[in-house]
Amino acid sequence: MKDRNMADKELIICRCEDVTEAEVLAAIEQGAATADEVKRLTRAGMGHCQGRTCRRLINQILARRLGQKPAEQKPVTQRSPLQPVSLKILADSKD
Amino acid sequence: MNRQDAKVAKVFNNVKHSLGSLRLRRKRNMSHTSDIIIIGGGIAGTATGYYLAKAGLKVALFDKGYLCSGSTGRCIGGVRQQFTSESSIKLMMESVRLFSGMDEELGVEVHWHPGGYLFLAHDEAKKKAFLENIRIQQAAGLKDVRWVDAAEAKEIVPLLNTEGLLGGSYCPTDGQAYPFAVVGGYAQRIKQLGGSIHTFTEVAGILQQGGKALGIRTSDGREFFADKIVNCAGPWAKDIGRLAGIEIPVEPERHEALITEGVEYLGIPMLVDYRADGGYFQQFKHNGQFIGCYTPVPNVPGTSCDSTFEFLTEMPRRMLKLVPALSEVKVIRQWAGSYEMTPDGNPIVDGTDLEGFYVVAGFCGHGFMLGPATGREAAAFIATGKRSPLLTDFALKRSYASREAMK
Repeated sequence: MKDRNMADKELIICRCEDVTEAEVLAAIEQGAATADEVKRLTRAGMGHCQGRTCRRLINQILARRLGQKPAEQKPVTQRSPLQPVSLKILADSKD
Repeated sequence: MNRQDAKVAKVFNNVKHSLGSLRLRRKRNMSHTSDIIIIGGGIAGTATGYYLAKAGLKVALFDKGYLCSGSTGRCIGGVRQQFTSESSIKLMMESVRLFSGMDEELGVEVHWHPGGYLFLAHDEAKKKAFLENIRIQQAAGLKDVRWVDAAEAKEIVPLLNTEGLLGGSYCPTDGQAYPFAVVGGYAQRIKQLGGSIHTFTEVAGILQQGGKALGIRTSDGREFFADKIVNCAGPWAKDIGRLAGIEIPVEPERHEALITEGVEYLGIPMLVDYRADGGYFQQFKHNGQFIGCYTPVPNVPGTSCDSTFEFLTEMPRRMLKLVPALSEVKVIRQWAGSYEMTPDGNPIVDGTDLEGFYVVAGFCGHGFMLGPATGREAAAFIATGKRSPLLTDFALKRSYASREAMK
């Protein structure tokens, strides 16, 4: 099996923002110790799907790299809207 | 020895004793000693820290969360020179210059783009005020700003709804940058220059003796010593000030924001609509996302960063009123952050009655844009004691009477 601590330059972790595993590991190298920091350094999780795919992967990479259990890593804050909604639909909504 | 002499001797011995124990503590904690301690890892702290480190000083920076976890990471990345305080105009002209060379200076891509700012006037009073502001700005040296009538505004922004528009105040050299990259870049440079960054480390006390700041105590009981301490705590600047016994008139207020998916860059400058149902938004050139907010009426005091459904529906109404063509662009995220307000809309960059304790805070929603130049001037003041005339309006002890009109 491949050593998962080796950075894979090709492996996409966040497909919305095109962030690779190597970039996530570089952010951790730079001092990121939480998913919030990885997000802000790499933009992973800031794209169209809002981290639906990558947030678990990032927590796993962080935990593995920092010698923690994945559960010790807090997930990034989930923000509304939970899926992309057009300006028009929002503007036409009633409170 | 008479009573008076005995008293003096006692005081002297006390001082000698505490100085001795202080030296001892300093010796024991050599690794916990630096020239400068900075409290706050946003733009104010990292920019000031960078310029102090560049001047050869050893900087230790503390944040209770991660870098950018306060106001800077929640801002919308606008950079403008259109202010009414001479200090702000001139500092912002400097900041624009610094932003334009920042990729090289910090070794990261900060996505600086001079996309411009267009302040819209829909009534005569606003037009008159903008014309007066333009006069002040040009007198301060900002030659790029000018009044544009509705027809010219339409030429600049073909998609703009100009119904009822008289014109606007336009400065094409205003722009945008990416806050996380800027703060991350400054922080990396601080480390490369021998400084240290302590994230998730909350400051719980300011150590002082005889009217002089000595260091900090963290919430986990560690002590760090430095010759000078700089309060760059943004929305929490007042709390940090109180730890030192210094009153700093900074009050946080909640501002909400949203961002859309990225679409083709349309070259729309930051549009600022000051009407009661107006707001301000821009499009990032680097990824095509629209980002914007409006100032809530009445204001929402406190450091709460809760989001509301009201904002999520109201902001799109205000955006589509100005640029109807964006109707199918999708919102992907909303959030909130704190403006750190002072009574007059200008920041505080100054020393305090506690020797060695400084404040660089209260940027009233303009910290990201003012940060680079203000951080540089603040660092020069802290390092040398010489105060740039650009900081004149930002003294801690001032009347707070003249209000920044373009806030």
